Amino acid sequence: MFNKDKVKVLSLSMLVTLACAGTANAKVTDKDILNDHLSTDEVVTNGMGLQGQRFSPLSTINTQTIEDIRPVWSFSLGGEKQRGQESQPMIKDGVMYITGSYSRVYAIDAKTGDELWQYEARLPDGIMPCCDVINRGVALYGDLVIFGTLDAKLVALNKDTGKVVWKKKVEDYKAGYSISAAPIVVKGKVITGIAGGEFGVVGKVRAYDAENGKLVWERPTVEGHMGYIYVDGKKIENGISGGAPGQTWPADLWKSGGAAPWLGGTYDPETDSLFFGTGNPAPWNSHLRPGDNYFSSSRLAIDPDTGKIKWHFQTTPHDGWDYDGVNEVISFNYDDQGKTVRAAATADRNGYFYVLNRENGDFIRGFPFVDKITWAEGLDENGRPIYAPANRPGNPADMADGKKGKTVVTAPSFLGGKNWMPMAYSQDTGLFYVPSNEWEMSIWNEPTAYKKGAAYLGAGFTIKSINDDYIGVLKAIDPKTGETVWSYKNYAPLWGGVLATAGNLVFTGNPEGYLMAFDAKTGEMLYKFNTGSGIVGSPVTWEMDGEQYISVLSGWGGAVPLWGGDVAKRVKHLNQGGSVWTFKLPKKYDLASN
Amino acid sequence: MLNRCKYLLILFCACCFNIEARSLDDILESQYIVIAVYDDYAPFSERKGDVATGIDIDIAQKIALSLGVELRLKWMTAGETTDDDLRNHIWKGHYLDRTVADVMLRVPYDRAYSQKRDDVGLLAHELVHMFGPYHTESWQIVFNQERLPDVATMALFQYHKIGAEIDSIPHFYLTSAFRGGLREQTRQYDNLVLAIKGMKDTEVDAVMGLRSQISYLHSQLDTQQYRLAENAFPLIGKQKWDIGMAVKTDYRALGYAVGDVVSALVRNGEMQKIFKKYAAIYEKPTYYQEIE
Repeated sequence: MFNKDKVKVLSLSMLVTLACAGTANAKVTDKDILNDHLSTDEVVTNGMGLQGQRFSPLSTINTQTIEDIRPVWSFSLGGEKQRGQESQPMIKDGVMYITGSYSRVYAIDAKTGDELWQYEARLPDGIMPCCDVINRGVALYGDLVIFGTLDAKLVALNKDTGKVVWKKKVEDYKAGYSISAAPIVVKGKVITGIAGGEFGVVGKVRAYDAENGKLVWERPTVEGHMGYIYVDGKKIENGISGGAPGQTWPADLWKSGGAAPWLGGTYDPETDSLFFGTGNPAPWNSHLRPGDNYFSSSRLAIDPDTGKIKWHFQTTPHDGWDYDGVNEVISFNYDDQGKTVRAAATADRNGYFYVLNRENGDFIRGFPFVDKITWAEGLDENGRPIYAPANRPGNPADMADGKKGKTVVTAPSFLGGKNWMPMAYSQDTGLFYVPSNEWEMSIWNEPTAYKKGAAYLGAGFTIKSINDDYIGVLKAIDPKTGETVWSYKNYAPLWGGVLATAGNLVFTGNPEGYLMAFDAKTGEMLYKFNTGSGIVGSPVTWEMDGEQYISVLSGWGGAVPLWGGDVAKRVKHLNQGGSVWTFKLPKKYDLASN
Repeated sequence: MLNRCKYLLILFCACCFNIEARSLDDILESQYIVIAVYDDYAPFSERKGDVATGIDIDIAQKIALSLGVELRLKWMTAGETTDDDLRNHIWKGHYLDRTVADVMLRVPYDRAYSQKRDDVGLLAHELVHMFGPYHTESWQIVFNQERLPDVATMALFQYHKIGAEIDSIPHFYLTSAFRGGLREQTRQYDNLVLAIKGMKDTEVDAVMGLRSQISYLHSQLDTQQYRLAENAFPLIGKQKWDIGMAVKTDYRALGYAVGDVVSALVRNGEMQKIFKKYAAIYEKPTYYQEIE
């Protein structure tokens, strides 16, 4: 399907263009963004292409040459603020743009690792982001570098100076909102979700004019809430999400239904759809809200021009396990008996891998991608889970005696068969490379709990590993059959993104600190390098002056070390950090010298 | 450059507090004490402009006065549970600023809680000493007498709408007890102030919440039209509980000194007066009743 020769020509012609135009001050255009999956000299989208495949056509670094790659520079994020670094680098005109923990942004000379500028958002006192102070990266558009802050603002910086061009409050951080995902830019609009698992939250996806930060539309992700579109500064009603309130919620619980789209989205130009996933419903105890609770723990296809919901697919209806359905939806086409299927794949927190028809959201197939799933016995023909009722956490009404409620052991744990870390799809092998984790949780209603001095009904839980020798498993999965072609087991849980390349390689990092490269077909580990702290970011690759580069952030953190249990024992010795590592082959492998 | 300066400023502010909780001697020597109170939580602690006000503020001032030191308040944004608050404000500090207070108010005084085991069987609160109960808290309903004459039992709320703060025990109770029979009549609000407003706007006929807060909010209403109910709450596991304080476990001497101050306030009736000032129902913890 992919014509490599064409790409080579393309990249050569780009080099020529670059040489003529010089590298100065080229703006990121919608066309650049649309073609990011084909271009090799820049990375201007989170996901290495709007569809989020994280596949690069570059092949200078390949299964033969990988053993010779070496670091060319390392950049320290500095300060005392060394926590989880989940950012994916972006590259434009020889400049790398990254975010760091605590809402910081850096522009770095991609050739030397020299810092060009640094921006630190001023964070208010008293913010309480739920899961570490991470950020997952910037969006680029025009001459702007756009990112979301822990206090729920969108900030656009000038790419050359790092000075603020516009700043927009997306939500009130005092109500428990924050932004950690990288925004996505589609058709000149910067589109973001919102994080905030706290109660009273209603998830929303919003689009802003990328040039000036003006709100274009907003789309609530909970059934019953009105969406809006802004025309000439006027706020116009644009249809209620799901048509009407209260169809899948009891009483008026839809008013505060949760479903925060905290991981951002992907976009498919072929169907002109944005794909956003949504978090779990509120309140957490499912017995309080009988019903499917639309559109919690779901995937939504949204019209990028209007914010209308085109279709939805709910992975965990009536979620009682905190299985956020936020995971990335990756568009890909495959051949089924001569017919091209426009599909989308997503690997859910709940342990199932779904292949959907991305034109209408129809379920094509689904299968487990982790070894142990106990909350459901399987999926029916529509992809709806067949629940195992005994493994649903208990009803608080059953514990009137004030004693600890029934303990239920469920796999996967609430951190998911796969959490935020994005998988990759190789157009060469037709496989998905899924960073998964094998863990389970005990969960019970905890009556001896307090909140702000008020007695409270908490949920007690412990996350436990299922196997002594590993939690993390990188799996190569065939989306047509559900077959696991190979797997790599990792002692600590995997928490970093994956990259696939035409060099028949798959890259990812682990909490132990290694950047690792695998043979995409066999899973043989061909290279590893210890970056000095855990990797929870997503690697990228690009070409500069005819040489292929690989970059990844290193810096242990994220949600895993915040939870106790025996998982914590596996990771508590890991040291924090904050740096970017960049690799390439020595000169002798230059394309130019070929 | 500007950004760097701002960063310095933040650091400077954080320096007003401590990286570590401190001993009584260090507090006396430094001439100030840092007491943690919840932000935006009337009638206990809130900021009105530059002025801190509320029951817990008055108690904190008495503590500082008795020790002869300046009072510095550390305003807490509440975590999901008190466990988070103890970690963030007493023994570890939140990872955003890593500062802690010397004393935290509004901590449950509950043996089952202080002796709670964590998920691997260790004492969950071994780094914290909880002491000095200063009042007993409970649940309370306030209702609109124009809409329902009296609240004899909870059964009434199969037919009358009732509001509660979302994710609170009253909310869980109303949506799950009696086989979910009250669920359809339950309306949830982000906080009790909004729930009371909902009652004034006749969205609901009654509101259930924390007794201190309900009685305080009730005092601001027309007390003829809106009445405090006297019904029981069958099937609620926790009917009453005591509220006290916490220090880091290393600083028991501080705990004893502060405990003595607060104990005197309870015994000499000063505590009741503080609650009365805010129209909050006061109940003395059984801890004091037994030894009297």
